[in-house]
Amino acid sequence: MKMPRRLALLSVLTLALAACSDDKNNPNYGGMGADGSGLPSNQTDQIGGNNADISGIPPTRPANGASPDSADYGTLASDTVYFGFDKAIVNAEERGKLEAVSEWFKANPGHALFLAGHADKRGTPEYNRALGERRAEAVREYLVGLGLSATVLYTTSYGSDPPAVDGDTEEAYAKNRRVEIGVVMQQ
Amino acid sequence: MNSSHLLLRSFLTASVLTAWVLPLRAQVEVSASALPTVGVALSGALGGGATEIISTDLRRTGEIEPVGGASGQYYATGVATESGITGQLVNKRTGEVVFNQTFDGHGRLAAHQFSDAITKAVTGLPGFATSRIAFIGGQGRVKELYLADIDGYNVREITHDNTVSASPALSHDGAKIAYASYKSGYLDVYLVDLGTGSRTRISYYPGINSGPSFSPDNSSLALTLSKDGNPEIYTIALNGGIENRITRTRGGETSPSWSPTGDRLVYSSDDHGTPQLFISSSTGVSEMDQLYTGNSYCTKPDWSPDGKTIAFTARVGGQFQVGLFDLATRLGHLVTADGGQDPAWTRDSRHLVYSKHGRLYLLDTVTHKSLPIALSVTADCGEPAVSR
Repeated sequence: MKMPRRLALLSVLTLALAACSDDKNNPNYGGMGADGSGLPSNQTDQIGGNNADISGIPPTRPANGASPDSADYGTLASDTVYFGFDKAIVNAEERGKLEAVSEWFKANPGHALFLAGHADKRGTPEYNRALGERRAEAVREYLVGLGLSATVLYTTSYGSDPPAVDGDTEEAYAKNRRVEIGVVMQQ
Repeated sequence: MNSSHLLLRSFLTASVLTAWVLPLRAQVEVSASALPTVGVALSGALGGGATEIISTDLRRTGEIEPVGGASGQYYATGVATESGITGQLVNKRTGEVVFNQTFDGHGRLAAHQFSDAITKAVTGLPGFATSRIAFIGGQGRVKELYLADIDGYNVREITHDNTVSASPALSHDGAKIAYASYKSGYLDVYLVDLGTGSRTRISYYPGINSGPSFSPDNSSLALTLSKDGNPEIYTIALNGGIENRITRTRGGETSPSWSPTGDRLVYSSDDHGTPQLFISSSTGVSEMDQLYTGNSYCTKPDWSPDGKTIAFTARVGGQFQVGLFDLATRLGHLVTADGGQDPAWTRDSRHLVYSKHGRLYLLDTVTHKSLPIALSVTADCGEPAVSR
């Protein structure tokens, strides 16, 4: 049986991680700010090897608190990445778009990207928010694989709202399962 | 695999399928005459209205048959005024005064308080007439947080943020709402104190912060955070400080709900490909106990207050339905046939509030009857939470 072995591995991993991270004392976390208070200031040292986790690459928010709503989603609109139903894997036919994004990024220094995940309207909204996040993370990991730095790739998820296309057809749903790529200036 | 093994397998499959497709539980048919009858007759300035509210509340329990005047096995009388109700319940067979009590809730609340006292005295079960529902109403990128009585009255718009509010949870004492919002631009979790009206952003880790659920003692929230990569379940204190990480998988985990004893959490995980339900300890990463509901797509579990049943959303033939998983038999079955999602238990562990096509409904899981909750909100409503 494979299960006990996997669990044993997990336990080892748990202990190793417990030893190197204590979230209650995490200096990156701003704690109990009142409504509207500043974002946690500096996330950058959460990235990289020591905190490696099977969950993937830890996300970041821009240090200046820029909102994902403020990004320009028009410049790279033709590179919006589409996904299968309930899937968070970048399909082979979508990968060319990310290569194009990578080329654009290298040709336009000084920018950062927001990767905004969306889901179609079907199902429970909470699951769709997590699904959108996983789609954004899949795009982020793919772009990191193409040589971009994770520190300039910010993820967010909007779940089912708003759809790119209204309607209850399979065609509309397919257009709404997406990651839009927004451009902001790097600080 | 030998033949007896195969036989056993097909037998088990057939049993699971049978349990799954049977629209009604076998033991459900309870004739109306078997229910205890309660006559309701209140006097005073608000007597007529209170009599109607209480009769409606009692009928909604599914456990009591309200009847006119003094003809019931019990007789509820009293005086209803602006300042509350002085109410009395008499057992007519024994002549005993079961209780004689003052209910001082404002407006309709006093009548609901009287209803819950009658329900408790007559059936031994907790009534839910005093419960409130929190839900999300709106369209597109404007969805606000609302609070209403469970009968649809007294709708209050809690947020006016012109953004998307999401995934509300009510504390068990009804004093607080935790919910997620894009108010900062990111999906963060906020805590509203309904007494003072104050609102605090409590969880804003990098990534998403969403789907909070109050622990039974209201001291902690379980929620989804993606701060370490993909969405995982954590517990946090009400000031946002991490207490425990609960899951560590390659998939996404969402919608944690506490066991009534607070030692375990049920949640959805798609680590095995499609979203499934799992139970884990609430105190750290531990083995994930999968609940085989008989359905390949299950999200948004809610653990019943009596601890026996998990309600969830199932995707069946492209439609979403409300399902129940019985923890004793470890079998699942559907309780809606024409659509439904995001179920939330009421106090009696018998009724569920759920959403369908932008409206909220109250479902009796014994009779499988559901009734729309009439709300004075014109926008689409969803993601209901119920106070316990």
